[in-house]
Amino acid sequence: MPAAAQTGQRRVAVDVLRRLPEFLTIWVPLLLCAGHLIAFALWTIWVSFTPSTLVPVAGFVGLRNYTAMMATRNWQIAFDNLLLFGSGFVLLSVLTGLGLAILLDQRIRGETVLRSIFLYPLAVSFVVTGTVWSWLLNPGIGIQKLVNGLGWTSFRFDWLIDRDMAIWTIVIAAVWQSSGFAMALFLAGLRSVDADLIKAAQIDGAGPIRMYRRVILPTLWPITVTVVVIQLQFAITTFDLVRALTGGGPGIATQLPALVVYDFMFQRGLLARGAAAAVLMLLILLAVLLPYAAWRYLQRRQSAHA
Amino acid sequence: MNKISRRAMLAGSAGLLAAPRHARAQAAKPRLTVISQWSAGSDGAAITALGKKFEEKGGTWQHSPVPGFTTEMMNKLRAQIMAGDPPACSQLKGPEIAAWSKIAATVNLDALVAGAGYEKVVAPDLARLHKPGGKWISLPLQIYSTNMLFLSKRAMDKAKADKIPVTWADFNALAEKMKAGGVTYPIANGGTRPDDGQKFEAALAGISPAAYRTAIMNLDDKALKGPELKAAFAQVRSIADWMDPNTAAQHYSINLPRFVAGDMGMMIQGGWAQGVLLNAGFKLDDFIIAPGPSDNGKPVFLLNADAFIFWQRKEPDLQAGQTLMAQLVMDPAIQTMYSQITGSIPVRTDVDLSGAGWSDGQRRTAAALKEAVAADQAVLSLAHNMAQENGMTAAMIDVLTEYVKNKAITPEQAVARLSNAVEGAR
Repeated sequence: MPAAAQTGQRRVAVDVLRRLPEFLTIWVPLLLCAGHLIAFALWTIWVSFTPSTLVPVAGFVGLRNYTAMMATRNWQIAFDNLLLFGSGFVLLSVLTGLGLAILLDQRIRGETVLRSIFLYPLAVSFVVTGTVWSWLLNPGIGIQKLVNGLGWTSFRFDWLIDRDMAIWTIVIAAVWQSSGFAMALFLAGLRSVDADLIKAAQIDGAGPIRMYRRVILPTLWPITVTVVVIQLQFAITTFDLVRALTGGGPGIATQLPALVVYDFMFQRGLLARGAAAAVLMLLILLAVLLPYAAWRYLQRRQSAHA
Repeated sequence: MNKISRRAMLAGSAGLLAAPRHARAQAAKPRLTVISQWSAGSDGAAITALGKKFEEKGGTWQHSPVPGFTTEMMNKLRAQIMAGDPPACSQLKGPEIAAWSKIAATVNLDALVAGAGYEKVVAPDLARLHKPGGKWISLPLQIYSTNMLFLSKRAMDKAKADKIPVTWADFNALAEKMKAGGVTYPIANGGTRPDDGQKFEAALAGISPAAYRTAIMNLDDKALKGPELKAAFAQVRSIADWMDPNTAAQHYSINLPRFVAGDMGMMIQGGWAQGVLLNAGFKLDDFIIAPGPSDNGKPVFLLNADAFIFWQRKEPDLQAGQTLMAQLVMDPAIQTMYSQITGSIPVRTDVDLSGAGWSDGQRRTAAALKEAVAADQAVLSLAHNMAQENGMTAAMIDVLTEYVKNKAITPEQAVARLSNAVEGAR
């Protein structure tokens, strides 16, 4: 028995040594990243309960930073904007991406070129997108001036300087930037639909619209959820796009939570208030991700039982 | 030949090794590590010139400019302070000097200031900012006024006016004349937050410097709800109506070509706009500079002063560098050189501006400062973080910028919002 145990141990040791490179390349960065993420998140949560202003100091002030933060117009406007921007952006980018993917799916010539063109905006940095769109949407030098110059003098497109509509300019720029990403994912999903399913539907006499509605789109459901979740988390952390496009909006009309965090933590030297805003952002993110995680868990349980 | 004993050899080599360090400690070459936000434009040119003067005096100048605005510079400064490695000298200004001096040790400059007799030639309001706790820890370098009135020559011709407005009533009348004469927008403005804040502080300080002092600098609640503030907001509404609504969030400098061409009439900007205009290729006779409107006839001066603060370091060469830098900053010749490059006026009230290299605008600004200090109407700018710390300033400017961009807010509502914002940020 001891001899067998020894060879068993040796085998395990050899096994570990052989897989050491894998361990190092995967686990070390993973643990480092996770450690950093969790450690700094915990640190931010701790700071949000202290009276820190310019630098972090120890102390406990209860929920004072949270109540003060939620009482400011900055946060209230930012939260409303997040709901508007989040829902508008996600919906529009999913619809645009899906539409483009369906159109590209028709086996047209030059599909590769068109696909690249639609994906290009994703490669542009948000600051560049924001700056260029701020010129395009400026009534005095952009689209409104162009259309007025062409003859339609009563055309108005001054959302950029309108307090109520400025948030939609950010939606426009963000949708332009990332609907290519949604399109790429949807296209992959469309292409991966089972060919037999399509043939069966064609035999049954389904026209193209019926085919899409009844056969293909329902199979895209998981991809749609993925796209929605990814776009949502991008929407929640939008910062440089807003800074470059409106600088926070006419007045403070296009504030978003990420801007409020940066503004309070660094520009105003109120670290604890900014940290409280950051924790509130985390709670909003969790409010979106936890139902998704629960839904996935239920799905897996269902498929395990089935 | 005497054999050199081993002990003697060891003693000699130890002495040899110690000698250079001994020599270095006796004459530490001044070295200075500096952080500022002045990386480009006339500000960058000015601090580079200051660095050259530092090196002429035998020092090593190590300037790390942080491109961007003051926040980026402060982030770098905070990071270095928390790492225990503060720069020997950094840019800082206003009440932030008092706030930051609590988080890291600073150098006591009392002896140097007394030696140069600097305190006698600095405006008292300004001096107080740089000696929180009674000791000098930072030195102001240049002064800007944030409420200078810039008038476009061509727009004045269109309005057929030649009198420079003195009171807000004159200003409003001139704006109407410009509009009637075909000037599209009597006021050239940017869309940034300091711009909106400047309009308000110019209005309030022009209407009543005393009310400005109690309400904005001392945050007295009664004064914040007083009639002067309502009048100031009403004046700001008039100004906002004369501005180009399409400016969005852009910097005021994009309107300079239209300003010089006469399509826009007036600017209420700080003295730095002179440097920006000249840098952009325009000439001094394209525009007139005058002090901002003041209802009681005597000039009101809204102070914005840049300063250097000195952080405690143990290294003797950095300490020597700090001494040299302090002496340079207080030197009238250096202040002259610096202000001539940036378009500001020197902090020292005893510098003679009648020579060449000074513009009429600078001379007028310096004269305005002298008169304003004499009449006790030199106050600290809110929009440029001189009157209050950054957190309070930002809360107040939130209200001001919303008011300027939203025509539906009445002056009464604005007054209520402002006092609420001050309460919330206290």
